[in-house]
Amino acid sequence: MQLQYTPAQHKFRMEIRDWLAAHVPKTPLVTLEREDGYHAHVEWERTLASGNWGMVTWPVEYGGRGLDLIEWLIFEEEYWAAGAPLRANQNGIFLLGPTIMEYGTPEQKARFLTPMAAGEVIWAQAWSEPGAGSDMAAITTKAIRDGDHYVINGQKTWSSRAAYADWGFGLFRTDPESKRHKGLSFILFDLDTPGVTRRPIRQLHGDTGFAELFFDDVRVPVENCLGGVGEGWNVAMATAGFERGLMLRAPGRFQATAARLVDLFRQHEATAAPAVREAVLTAWMGAQAYAYNTYAVAAKIMAGGKIGAEASLNKIFWSELDRMMHRTAMQLLGAAAELRTLGDGNVNAWLDGYIFSLSGPIYAGSNEIQRNITAERLLGLPRMGAG
Amino acid sequence: MDLLLTSDQLELADGVRSYLAGTHGADVLRRLDAGPNRDPAIWQGLVDMGLPGLCVPESAGGLGLGLLDAALIAVECGRVCLAEPLVDTAFVAAPLLAGTAGNDDILSQIATGTARIALAHPRNPWIADLETATHLFPSPLAGEATRPLGRAGEGVLASVDPLRNLSPPQETPENPALLNHAALMTAAQLIGLAEAMLSQATDYAKLRTQFGQPIGAFQAVKHQLASAAVALEFARPPLWVAAQQLQDGHPHAATAISHAKIAAGDAATAIAETAIQVHGAMGYTYEVDLHFWMKRSWALTAAWGDRAFHLARLDAAVIGGGMDIGPRHSF
Repeated sequence: MQLQYTPAQHKFRMEIRDWLAAHVPKTPLVTLEREDGYHAHVEWERTLASGNWGMVTWPVEYGGRGLDLIEWLIFEEEYWAAGAPLRANQNGIFLLGPTIMEYGTPEQKARFLTPMAAGEVIWAQAWSEPGAGSDMAAITTKAIRDGDHYVINGQKTWSSRAAYADWGFGLFRTDPESKRHKGLSFILFDLDTPGVTRRPIRQLHGDTGFAELFFDDVRVPVENCLGGVGEGWNVAMATAGFERGLMLRAPGRFQATAARLVDLFRQHEATAAPAVREAVLTAWMGAQAYAYNTYAVAAKIMAGGKIGAEASLNKIFWSELDRMMHRTAMQLLGAAAELRTLGDGNVNAWLDGYIFSLSGPIYAGSNEIQRNITAERLLGLPRMGAG
Repeated sequence: MDLLLTSDQLELADGVRSYLAGTHGADVLRRLDAGPNRDPAIWQGLVDMGLPGLCVPESAGGLGLGLLDAALIAVECGRVCLAEPLVDTAFVAAPLLAGTAGNDDILSQIATGTARIALAHPRNPWIADLETATHLFPSPLAGEATRPLGRAGEGVLASVDPLRNLSPPQETPENPALLNHAALMTAAQLIGLAEAMLSQATDYAKLRTQFGQPIGAFQAVKHQLASAAVALEFARPPLWVAAQQLQDGHPHAATAISHAKIAAGDAATAIAETAIQVHGAMGYTYEVDLHFWMKRSWALTAAWGDRAFHLARLDAAVIGGGMDIGPRHSF
C-alpha cells in the first residue's frame, strides 16, 4: 500500500485542473432535465471532447487517453472540485461504452465508440417496462427477426435521457416463446427510427428527464444486436460490468457534496441541532470511505482482479449516503428548504439535489434488489422458496 | 497511489487466521470462561507463531513489520475473540517502544514472549490485563516481576466480557501517540469481531428453518444481513488508510484513526444487534457462542476513545477547519 501520488499523477492533476479552470462554464448550466439545459450539457460534452477529456480511460483509438483507473479518479476529483456540469453522456461512457468494448464486434466498436466519446451521440437507457421494473426478466417488448431486421413492438418506460437523447439501448425479447432471462437480446436503436414514439414523463421536480418509449413495428438492423442473440441477459449482467459498478458514481461527486454540506453547516451552526452536526460528520466519513473503497477496488482491478456482486454494496452505500447528505442540508436550511430560489437569487440546489437523491436508491436496480443480490451472492443465503 | 493490500500481507493474515481458527475456537472461549481465563499454552502458541515480535525490529529479534501488517493481524485476533493480550503488547506497545532508542532489551523480551505490556491512558481508564502484565506502559516501567495469573474478582473490575480482565486507573501521563496506536488496533479488532458476528448470523440463517425454509431465504432477514455487509465493506478501507497514514507519519493520521474507530465501532454495534436478532431466542442465551463476540465489541467500541471523543476530533478537523476537505483531498 502506497498512499502518495506519483509526480506524474500530480502533473496530470494539475493539467486537468488548469484545463477545467479555463473551460468550465462560469455560471451553472440550466438543468439537464429541460430541453435548453440538455442542449447546453451536450455542448459541454463536445467541449470536453475537444480537449480530449471525454473519457480518459478509453483507448486512444476511440477518443480516450488510454489512462488507468487512478488517473480516472484524479480526473473525477478535479472535475467535481471544479463544479463542472453533470455528464449528459453518462449512459454512453459509463454504461454502454464498456459493454461494447467487452461484447461488441469490431464494426460495432468502430461505429459507436468514437461518436460516443466525442459527445456526438447521446444515449438513453431502455430497460424498464410498465410490468418489468425491479423484475427485469419480466420484459415483454418483442424484437422479432424479419430478414435483416428486428421488428420491435411494445413499450419501455422510465427511460433515462430518452426525452432528448439520440440513441437508446436495452433488452428485448427476440424469442417470443421464451420465458424470464432466456430469449432476451441487447439491442441498440436510433430513437428517431420510424415507429418510435417518445412521451416525456414529468418527474418529481417538474421537469422531464426520462420518458416512455412506444415501439410500433420499429425496424432495427440485426447488426445492432450487441453480444449473441438470446444472450442479452448475460451481456447486461456480466461481470464485465465491473467497470459500471465502479464508474457509475465517482467518489469526487460525493466528496464535493460533503464539502458543500460542511460549508452550509458553518453558515447555520448557531441554529443547527446536535444531531445535524453529527450527520454532517457522518456525511464526510461516508464520502471518504467511498473514496477509499473506490481507490481500493481500482487498485485491485489494475492488479488483475475483478469485482462482481460487490458492486451492489457500492450502489447501496452511495445512494443512501447521497440521500442522507441532501436530507441533512434540507434540515440545515430549515424553513428556507422549501423555496425554489434562495435569498441570494440562486436556485435552491440542495432542494433539487434532495429530490434527485430520492431516485438513487431506486434506479440502476432498486436497493431492495441490491440487498437480495448481496445476501444471495456474497453471503450465500438461499433464494426465497428454494429451501 | 496504490490502495492495495500486498499478497504478503494477505498471506500472513491468512496464515494467522488458519492457525487461530484451529486453536482458538468457541470451545476454548468456553473453557477460559469456566476456569482461569488466561492460558499460558495459548500465549506460547502465539509466541511460536512469532506474533509478539511482529513489529519488533529485526535487530531485536522480531520481524520488523509495519502497522498495517499488525492491524491485519489484529483483525484476526478480533475474529476469534482472542483472550490473550497480544494486541496491546505486540501491536501497540512494541511499535511505540521501537520508535525510541534504548528499548532493545524490552523489545527482545516482547519478541520472545516473556514481556507482556499493559497500557494506561487517562482516556481509557480501565487497564486491561495488568495482573498478568510484566510492565505498564507508558514509563516508568513497573518492574520485571511477572504478575500472577488471575481473573476478575479480587480487586479487579468485572467486565460484561468474561474474558476481559480490568484493573482500576493508575496515575499515568497522557501519551497522544499511545492513544492513536491503541485506537487504531482497537478498530482493527472491532472489524474482526464484526466479520465473525456477521458470519455466525449468516450461518445460522442458512441452518434454522421456519415456515418450511431457511430463515435466510426471507427478505426481512436477508436485508438486515446485507446492510451489515455494507457497513463492513465501508469500515475496512478507513482502517487500512488509517494504519498506513499512521505508519507514514501523515499529518492527519489522527483524524483517519478516529474515522476508522467510529466506522468499526458503528459496524460492530449494528452487526451485534443484527446477529442477535437473526439468532432469535437462541441469541438471547449463554449457550450460543455469539455473546462472547458481542460483549467484546461492546467493550472495545467504548475503549481507547469512545464515539463522542472520536467525533469531537473529527469535528475539529472537518468542521473546525483543521484540514482541507473535498474531492482534491482524498488522502
